[in-house]
Amino acid sequence: MASKTGLDGKVAIVTGGGRGIGRAIVDRLLADGASVVTCGRGSRPQDLSSSVVWVQADIADRNHAAAVVGAAGENFGNAAILVNNAGVQVEKTVIETSDDDWDLVVGTNCKGTFNMCREMLPQMSEHGGSIVNLGSISGNVSDPRMAVYNASKAFVHGLTRSIAVDHGPWVRCNSVSPGWIRTAMVSEGFALARDPERAEADAVARHAVGRLGEPEDIANAVAWLVSDQASFVTGQCFIIDGGLTAASPLQPGLF
Amino acid sequence: MGGTLSGKVALVTGGRGGIGRAIGARLVKEGATVYAADLSQSGSLGDTPEGETRYVRLDVTLESNVADALDLIDRESGKLDILVNAAGIEIEKTIEHTSLSEWNRCFAVNVTGTFLTCKYALPLMRKAVSHGTTASIINFGSYDGFIADPGLAAYCASKGAVHALTRAMACDHGPEGIRVNAICPGYIDTPMLQAFFAGAGSGGGGGTVETLRDAVRNVHPIRNYGTPADVANLVNWLAGDEARYASGQLWILDGGLSAQVQQMRL
Repeated sequence: MASKTGLDGKVAIVTGGGRGIGRAIVDRLLADGASVVTCGRGSRPQDLSSSVVWVQADIADRNHAAAVVGAAGENFGNAAILVNNAGVQVEKTVIETSDDDWDLVVGTNCKGTFNMCREMLPQMSEHGGSIVNLGSISGNVSDPRMAVYNASKAFVHGLTRSIAVDHGPWVRCNSVSPGWIRTAMVSEGFALARDPERAEADAVARHAVGRLGEPEDIANAVAWLVSDQASFVTGQCFIIDGGLTAASPLQPGLF
Repeated sequence: MGGTLSGKVALVTGGRGGIGRAIGARLVKEGATVYAADLSQSGSLGDTPEGETRYVRLDVTLESNVADALDLIDRESGKLDILVNAAGIEIEKTIEHTSLSEWNRCFAVNVTGTFLTCKYALPLMRKAVSHGTTASIINFGSYDGFIADPGLAAYCASKGAVHALTRAMACDHGPEGIRVNAICPGYIDTPMLQAFFAGAGSGGGGGTVETLRDAVRNVHPIRNYGTPADVANLVNWLAGDEARYASGQLWILDGGLSAQVQQMRL
């Protein structure tokens, strides 16, 4: 298979690779030649490539995170690539957020990312490695009624810089912040709108590139960041949002 | 009489414009001696200026004008504690439609003007510091220096330049006791904003000026436009000794507008 960014022989762990953006990242790293382990809280998706190792795991639990890293070692050897994609969102304000909501969002997005990094960093510090965390534009600017999610992504941005500073030169760590990516979650959002067609047209008009993102757009960025092409790139949070957040929240021409 | 700025001397450029007048009036109320510099007595507004500011004719793009204005202040007051660079213009065009002279004019007023007033004010501001307090330069950036509004390319770029200049001057002149900050306003209700709604701002949605005005207001988390008095409140704080440790920062004042992701109409 032709390798786009040359990951032949490398082992990659991608959390939350069952569907959506995570699946696109798994498929891309596979296509670039990597051996891939991924995980999720449910059972193995039927359509997942047979060469991918699936671990049923909740990375909010330290032991589960260790099991994912262990599975990579047993099946392929030391992983040099970690993509912390797994994330959940709860659409609530601070007042509405329960302890369970907090545990779910902070457990997966913050502690899960932290758990995976803590498991991987000792071996990466010895053999080298590249970590890409999935942040969000919502970690920089707020989506309404997403308080703990927004805050959890700001945590990811801060952790990204800290790992880059503390664990260079052997480990590089960056984050990618997606904007509106066309996943099942976004489509459901449009379906709930009063006028779904108009809602989608409005959303598209707010993107300088004239479309929503596709999961592959994020996978492209991740593939580049984990490759040797990006060997001088570390500690940065890259926004891939079609220009959405480069523009003011107000575009009077749309009104 | 005990205002927070009593005994201080201030220069406000664009001092006869919508925001500049509110700043001048506030600084006077707080006890400062205020020089309001503008192209004419009435500035960008048609009516007669009010307040007790001292008018100085000034084109901030002309070095000799700037030198003369600061010389006048030196002779009359002997120092300058506060410099507010509120003079600014915007060109509502994409770069393809912006002529070189429009581009140069935008940078001449917004960037070069700020450079010139700061350059000639620094010696006078050092004299204010020697009286035992900090001096304060307050530039005008914009939330458009961080994120773009469509069709405002030269303006956005010029405000980004002001942001960088603000940080650079804070580094260079902090050791001398001169603080440098920028205020980055969002939508402030001025004649310039109302003209924008009546003109190029309305369009795509096909609504009236009123529906546009309401729609834009409601995208703000605060659900309102800022007023010149809101800007003057921040100028007053940054100018005074309570802000003695604040320097090199960009103060966004936009009712929460830029804290959020674009609000889709779902």
